[in-house]
Amino acid sequence: MFKKRKTVGMTELGKREQRLAYWLLLPTFLILFTIAFYPLVQVFYTSLTDKTFASNQETNFVGLQNYHHLLGMTIKELPPVIDEDTGEQLLNPDTQKKVYERAIRILPREPVRFRELFQFGFLGRRYVVGAVDREFIRAMGDTISFTIFSVLLETLLGLGIALVVNSHFKGRGVMRATMLVPWAVITVVSARIWEFMLSPTRVGFFNVVLQKLGLGDGQIAFLRLPEWSMPSLVAVDVWKTTPFMALLILAGLQLIPKSLYEAAEVDGASSIRQFFTITLPLLRPSLAVALVFRTLDALRVFDVFQVLLAQSRYSLASYNYYQLIGNRAMGLASAIGVVIFVLIFAFAMLYMKLLGVDTE
Amino acid sequence: MMNKQVFKISKKVVFWCVVAIIFVYMLFPFYWAVNSSLKTESQLQMTPATFIPRNPHTLKVDFTLDNYRSIFTNDKFIHGLLNSTIVSTMTTGLALVVGSFAAFALGKLRFRGKTPSLYLILSMTMFPQVTVLSGLYAVINKLNISALPGMILSYMIFTLPFTVWVLTSFFKSLPRELMQSAQVDGATPFQTFYKILLPLTAPALVTTGLLAFISAWNEYLFSLTFTAIEPASRTVPVAIALFTGTVSRQEPFGEIMAAAVVVTIPLVVLVLIFQRKIIAGLTAGAVKG
Repeated sequence: MFKKRKTVGMTELGKREQRLAYWLLLPTFLILFTIAFYPLVQVFYTSLTDKTFASNQETNFVGLQNYHHLLGMTIKELPPVIDEDTGEQLLNPDTQKKVYERAIRILPREPVRFRELFQFGFLGRRYVVGAVDREFIRAMGDTISFTIFSVLLETLLGLGIALVVNSHFKGRGVMRATMLVPWAVITVVSARIWEFMLSPTRVGFFNVVLQKLGLGDGQIAFLRLPEWSMPSLVAVDVWKTTPFMALLILAGLQLIPKSLYEAAEVDGASSIRQFFTITLPLLRPSLAVALVFRTLDALRVFDVFQVLLAQSRYSLASYNYYQLIGNRAMGLASAIGVVIFVLIFAFAMLYMKLLGVDTE
Repeated sequence: MMNKQVFKISKKVVFWCVVAIIFVYMLFPFYWAVNSSLKTESQLQMTPATFIPRNPHTLKVDFTLDNYRSIFTNDKFIHGLLNSTIVSTMTTGLALVVGSFAAFALGKLRFRGKTPSLYLILSMTMFPQVTVLSGLYAVINKLNISALPGMILSYMIFTLPFTVWVLTSFFKSLPRELMQSAQVDGATPFQTFYKILLPLTAPALVTTGLLAFISAWNEYLFSLTFTAIEPASRTVPVAIALFTGTVSRQEPFGEIMAAAVVVTIPLVVLVLIFQRKIIAGLTAGAVKG
C-alpha cells in the first residue's frame, strides 16, 4: 500500500518542495488571516449586536436591527390640503403652487421615526420618501454618484492623456513624468491644496478666475453650497487619480502591435477610423481592469470627503468612520461595513459580467 | 497642395495646445501650493489672489520662507514625518520579505493547492478595506500592540496582495532551468531562492517596493482611526489634515501649503527617477491580471 501511494504521489524531492512551499506561504496567510479574514468575520458578527466602541457597556444581540435602521425606507402619499370653503385644493398665495400635507405629519413615527429624504410628483399625486437613517441613505447616493462621475471623467481624460503620451513627439519623456506628479501627491495633501484653491472668497484661485471670466461674484462657497460641493469633490478626485488611469491605459496601448496601424495606414484608414476599429477594441481588456480598479477605489472614498466636507456630507466610508469613532456605535458601524462590502462586490460582479474580464 | 499643408500645420498646433493644456492641468495645483507657501499671512489674504507672491502695497515680487521655518519647528509635523517614515519603511520591508517568499512558492514551486492560494490572494486586492475598519481595531486591541506596529500590520492588507501578485508573475518569467541547475549543484530550493532567484528579481522588488511605499505614505483612514486615542503616533497625512495654527485662529494655509510641498517633493523625485520602472511594473501587475 505504502509503496503504491509513493509511486502515484510524488518523489521525496517533490515532497520536500511542497513542504517548503507551504512554509513560505505561511507568513502571508497568517497575516492576511489576522488582518482580513478574522476581522471580516468579526464585523459580520458585530453588525448583529449593539456593541459600543471602547467601553465596558454590555453588548446585546439585536439581530438585524442595525440593518433595519440603515436601510429602512418608506414611500407615503401626501394628501392634498383641501380648502374648506371651495372644496378645492389650497394654493400657496405667493407661489400659486398646490399645497400638500406636511411630510413630517405623514411619515411614520412608531416604532422608529422616518425622516424626509425627498418628495416627488407622479401622475398628479405627490409622494414623500422617508428613511430611518437619512444621513446613511444620502451617503450611499452621494458615494454612488461621486463614483459614476469621477470614474467616467477619469477614464475619458486618462484615455486622452494616454493617447497623447503614447504618440511620438519631442518632450514625450517630460510629459510622461509630468503626468505622474498628481499621483505622487498625498490624497489628503491634494485635498487641502484644492481646499485653498476653492476658498469662498477671491483669496481662492477659482473665485478669482471665475470672476475675471464674468461668472459669479467671487464669493462662491464651493464646498458649502450643495450644488457646488459634489462637482468640486469630483474635480479634486479626477485631478489626483487621472494619472493612474492614464498609466494603466498607456500600458494597454503599448501592448497593441504597431503592425496593425501600419496595415491600416496602407489601406488608407483615417486616424479616427483607426482609433475606433483598432485602438478601442484592443484596449478593452486594459480599460476593463482600469475601470474595475478605479470604481472599487472610488466606492470606498474617504480622504476627500473627510477633509473637504468634514461632517456636512458623508461618503459611505466617512459615515462608517463617524459612527465608529464619533458616535462609538460599533454595531452600527460594522453593519455599514457589511453594506459597503456587499455594494462593492455587486459592482465588481457587474463589471466582470459586462466587460467580460478574463480572470485567467 | 496648399490646403494639405495648412491642414498639417493646424493639426500640429492643435496637438501642441493639447499637450500644453495637459501640462498646465497636471502641474498647476502643485504650483499653486508652492506659490501660496511662499506668501505671508497678509499676502495670502490679498484679493484677488496673485499668481506669484507680491507685496500687498507696492505689488513687487516679494516672498518669504517663514512658513517653512515654522513647520520645521512644529513638533506635530516633525513627529508626523518621523512616524510616516517608520511606518512606510517597515510596511514596505515586511511586504517585500513576506511577499517574495509567497511569490517564490507561487511562481516557481510545485505543490497542491496552488491555484486556490493564488485566487485567494488575488481576491484580496479587491477587498474593501473600510469594511474591516471596526473589526481590525478590535484585533489590534486584542493583540495589545500600540498604534505604530498596528498601522504597519494593517497596511499589509493593501500592500501584501499587490506585492505577491506582481512578484509572482515576475518569478514565473524566470527560466526553470536556473533552479534545476542549482539543484544539480546541490543547493536546496530555499538556497536557490535567496542566492540565485532573488537577486534576479531586484528590478521588480524596486518597483513593488516603491508602490508599496507610496500607498503606505498616502494612507489616511486607518491612521486616523488607530491614532484617535494616541495623537503622538499620527502620520503625516493625519497631521496635515488636522493642522491648526499655533497662534492665529484662522487656518494657517501658508504653513499647510509649505507642509504639502515638503511631503510631496521626495515622492515626486522618487516617481520621476523610477518613472519607466513604474510603468513597466504596473503593466506586469495590472494587465496580466
